[in-house]
Amino acid sequence: MSVERETFADRYPEEAELVRRSFLVAFTALGLGALFGIIQALHRTNVLRFIPSTDYYTVLTAHGVLLVIVFTIFYLVGLYQWAVTRSLDRSPTNINFTRAWLTLMTIGSVITGLTILLGFVDQIGISADVLFTFYAPLQAHPLFYTGLVVFIIGTWLAGVDWFRTWLHWKQDNPDERIPLQTFMVLTTMIMWYVATIGVAIAVLFFLLPWSLGLIETVNPLLTRTLFWFFGHPVVYFWLLPAYMLWYTVLPKLAGGRLFSDPLARVVFVLFVLLSTPVGIHHQYVDPGIAEGFKFIAMTNTMFLLLPSLLTAFTVVASMEHGARQRGGEGLFRWLTALPWRDPAFTGMALAGLMFAAGGFSGMINAGMNINYLVHNTIWVPGHFHLTVGTAVALTMMAGTYWLWPQLTNRRLYSRPIGLLQVVMWFGGMALMSNSMHVAGLYGVPRRTAEPQYAGFDFQTAFGSIAELNVQLAVGGTLLFVSTLLFLGNLALSLGNPKVDGLGQTLPEPLSGPDDSPRVLDNMKLWAGIALVLVLLAYALPLGAIVQNGGLFGTGGDAYPVSVLGRFDPGVGLDAVRELLGVGR
Amino acid sequence: MSRGVPAVEEEDGEPEGPEQSVSAPAMQEGPERELSHEEFDPKGTLALILMYFTILVVMWVFMYFIEFLGNDLVVVG
Repeated sequence: MSVERETFADRYPEEAELVRRSFLVAFTALGLGALFGIIQALHRTNVLRFIPSTDYYTVLTAHGVLLVIVFTIFYLVGLYQWAVTRSLDRSPTNINFTRAWLTLMTIGSVITGLTILLGFVDQIGISADVLFTFYAPLQAHPLFYTGLVVFIIGTWLAGVDWFRTWLHWKQDNPDERIPLQTFMVLTTMIMWYVATIGVAIAVLFFLLPWSLGLIETVNPLLTRTLFWFFGHPVVYFWLLPAYMLWYTVLPKLAGGRLFSDPLARVVFVLFVLLSTPVGIHHQYVDPGIAEGFKFIAMTNTMFLLLPSLLTAFTVVASMEHGARQRGGEGLFRWLTALPWRDPAFTGMALAGLMFAAGGFSGMINAGMNINYLVHNTIWVPGHFHLTVGTAVALTMMAGTYWLWPQLTNRRLYSRPIGLLQVVMWFGGMALMSNSMHVAGLYGVPRRTAEPQYAGFDFQTAFGSIAELNVQLAVGGTLLFVSTLLFLGNLALSLGNPKVDGLGQTLPEPLSGPDDSPRVLDNMKLWAGIALVLVLLAYALPLGAIVQNGGLFGTGGDAYPVSVLGRFDPGVGLDAVRELLGVGR
Repeated sequence: MSRGVPAVEEEDGEPEGPEQSVSAPAMQEGPERELSHEEFDPKGTLALILMYFTILVVMWVFMYFIEFLGNDLVVVG
């Protein structure tokens, strides 16, 4: 076997196994999440209903948490483990530590996931129908929060592991620039550490003690604000692994080279600085936060367009470089010279295209005045199905088509099925998110099993709500079938024989790291500035919220009430017996 | 210690020609030529981005139209 074609799995078998394991959890969550997705799509549109509407929140929570927490973040840690190992050219300092954080994350996810799914069995009395946005007054069973804590501690340790590996590498290579992929991992993790301060405080000091019955009340506005402190930057935690694939793998697939390594570094640093001090833009309609703070959050949010636009330029230019090297000519004709029959390329390119559309609806959401038009309508899920649901998820699936053979030494079962799958995702999402955006403009609400209220008609400028429902249902069905094709293709790939020579290398950028200032690699500096910006954006509003409502609020009941004190083990046991059909 | 995965950055040359993407069809054609940083002028990218900006501006103005001209005046506060 030639050294050039040696795969990651050949060189780093233990690390490859860990990456495969994290992908396994990610894809299990993807399959389950997709199932809950189609149930929602068909139920909301009244096409097919086989669950009671009272279970809709359980379905919605499972869909959200399994996809945007478990699928995306397990994919991230797998991809980042591959990237750090590959780009630093070394194993983790202690692979048992790597195994430990992955196990911790898995245990946390299982606890949280099971707590949500138990919501389908009313008799047991355990549920967590609180959605991905798990702030008060919605209350989950303590196990939900406990699982989240365990999961997040696992992600923190993953970051420790990668920083430790980098520091050891640095000792051996004191004068070298941080390899680009490792730079991306480290900056993403700095952002994650800053972002999770909010959710850690919310869960540990308020939500968990509250659900355990240790404290009577919480200040809902405080937990909401702490949630969105984390809840907005987490979207970049999902996005940055996709960015890593776009910056480092997509140019190779296109047949070219990354246009600029320095620009890529600037983009990741901008996300560290700008992603956290913006969360209040999710709270434009919340009473209790002064308009001035909301305006500051809006301004900060608009700055975030900068790294996205830099990415659009750099990534498209890298694709164009590949197309020109393949003989592409003209102002637009070069697009036809791109390798559209490669599912990994096509999936990522279509994901990027949808991200551009998501950028538009994101600007609308971020605008303080125009947000009122779409807030809490189905427009908002339409937006994030373009961003996390396509830019991130489709890129991850497409990236897997390229990465999976190098992790298993087996060829993909079917490249044409892969191509069909990514195109079907694009088509399904185009239908579904279009109908969601349009329906949102007509005022159709989100987060409800019964969007049509009795005695009320939504006025449409053209077409009809029925037509939008058909689009949504067909789109959702295509997305579900696409997920099945993806999972089936990967599963069948495991039946292929092992072969040699599937290894891949990544081309060096046209403009390399030496063209950028060394200060970009100063992680302490960026972490410090990020914390200062967060303080500037959040100290005053949080102070005002506590001053007005107190740390623990002024009362009010949780919903649904599911604290431990309400759990009767005898009832739970009876329910299990009933399910198993054994003597009662 | 480093075990030395052969990153292309460190390779002396590719004996088997340009490397094919592992997810691409076997018959896919490889690059015809090599373009350096100086030779490459991303004018297609510029055209696409200008097109995107135009769409953004038109759609944003359209939304603004719906928000302010499609509704009555609202007094906030």
